[in-house]
Amino acid sequence: MMSLRKTFKLSLLAVLGASISTTASTTAAEAPKRIDVSQLSKRVDDVVVPLPNEVFGALNKLGGVNWKEYVRNEKGSNFRERPRIALLLGTVIADGFIAVQAEDAPAVKDIGQRVLGLAKGIGVGNSITPHAKAITEAADKRNWPGVRQELDRTQNSVQQAMNEMKDEKLSHLVSLGGWLRGTEVLTSVVTKRFSEDGAELLHQPDLLNYFDQRLSAMPEFNLKLLQDIRAALGEVRPLIDVGDAQITHASVKRINEITARLDAAIITK
Amino acid sequence: MRSGLCLAAVLGLMLPLAVASVDDAQSFALQAAEPYVKEGFQVREDYWGGDLGAGEKKAVRQQLFKGNEYWFWLGTEVEKANVSVHIYDSEGKLVEQPDSWQKGQFAAAHIIPPSTGSYYIIVSVESSPEERTHWALVYGFR
Repeated sequence: MMSLRKTFKLSLLAVLGASISTTASTTAAEAPKRIDVSQLSKRVDDVVVPLPNEVFGALNKLGGVNWKEYVRNEKGSNFRERPRIALLLGTVIADGFIAVQAEDAPAVKDIGQRVLGLAKGIGVGNSITPHAKAITEAADKRNWPGVRQELDRTQNSVQQAMNEMKDEKLSHLVSLGGWLRGTEVLTSVVTKRFSEDGAELLHQPDLLNYFDQRLSAMPEFNLKLLQDIRAALGEVRPLIDVGDAQITHASVKRINEITARLDAAIITK
Repeated sequence: MRSGLCLAAVLGLMLPLAVASVDDAQSFALQAAEPYVKEGFQVREDYWGGDLGAGEKKAVRQQLFKGNEYWFWLGTEVEKANVSVHIYDSEGKLVEQPDSWQKGQFAAAHIIPPSTGSYYIIVSVESSPEERTHWALVYGFR
């Protein structure tokens, strides 16, 4: 029997349908070699937000990254505003993925507890308690794939719980917080050791548009930080939406400055 | 009264089907993914789903990163359905690997992205004995 929780989440994910205009006929066994995305792109206005560890995995393949350098141990500030807690929660979960990359068990365990505290602060602690426990147990065993899976489950559970509470906008802020922290670390790594392949990982214009649209639909939150983030996304867009051209070292450095500034604003009062 | 009973009966029959099957479809998608987990693919907890009539397609737009390798697995609980999943780049070119497959109620598409950016994941119910067929899509990467 399907839970209503999942039904609701699925409806929120808004995987939009589109009739696909094809330029070639197809059979059940053979897919068309080309489709007409001009119609498709107008009708699919959503995009799947990747987890931070997806980009970290790709980054790792470009050469040894000293992940320990990016592990963050400070507890950070406590907030009362739920949008700020949601942003911070996404950031801290991303920090969890960084700590896993660094194979830093104490940091992972601290982050697990921090996530639990933030989730309680936003009213979804109950759904996170088992994951926080599983994160600690997996970190004790240095079971890094297990920790990654639990962090993924944690984010999923937080967002499902928010959606159940009709707090979909907070759920988007969790994704945004994680994306900003992931992008900060990505750009820091690539700034220090520039490569075209590393810079190409920033080619995410649809995600920028997605977050911009989501932020524009949150006027009720009326937080300066959200306005600052939206303005900053506008600064980042021309730096990464470069078509077939390469994203330059200077652009990567600039994006790092922007995302580091936002990250600092997210974690401090 | 009679029409009320009929309505109740219809709802009683329809609701469990309509509500339950996407979750069931997810179980089948995860079943398709299972062998790949042993090969080191991390399967995301999230999944995407809905229902389609025979011959209908849906699209999911997905950010993929060059350097990673991805599998997308599609499943439905309808045993006699035939489903498919294919991956296109932002220009509309089919970019999946030749080992992508479809087998009745399961299908999978494999991509090693040639560049970082947005891709379209197209899911389709090609045939089905049901009027509406639930589907679920999960993905994994390594």
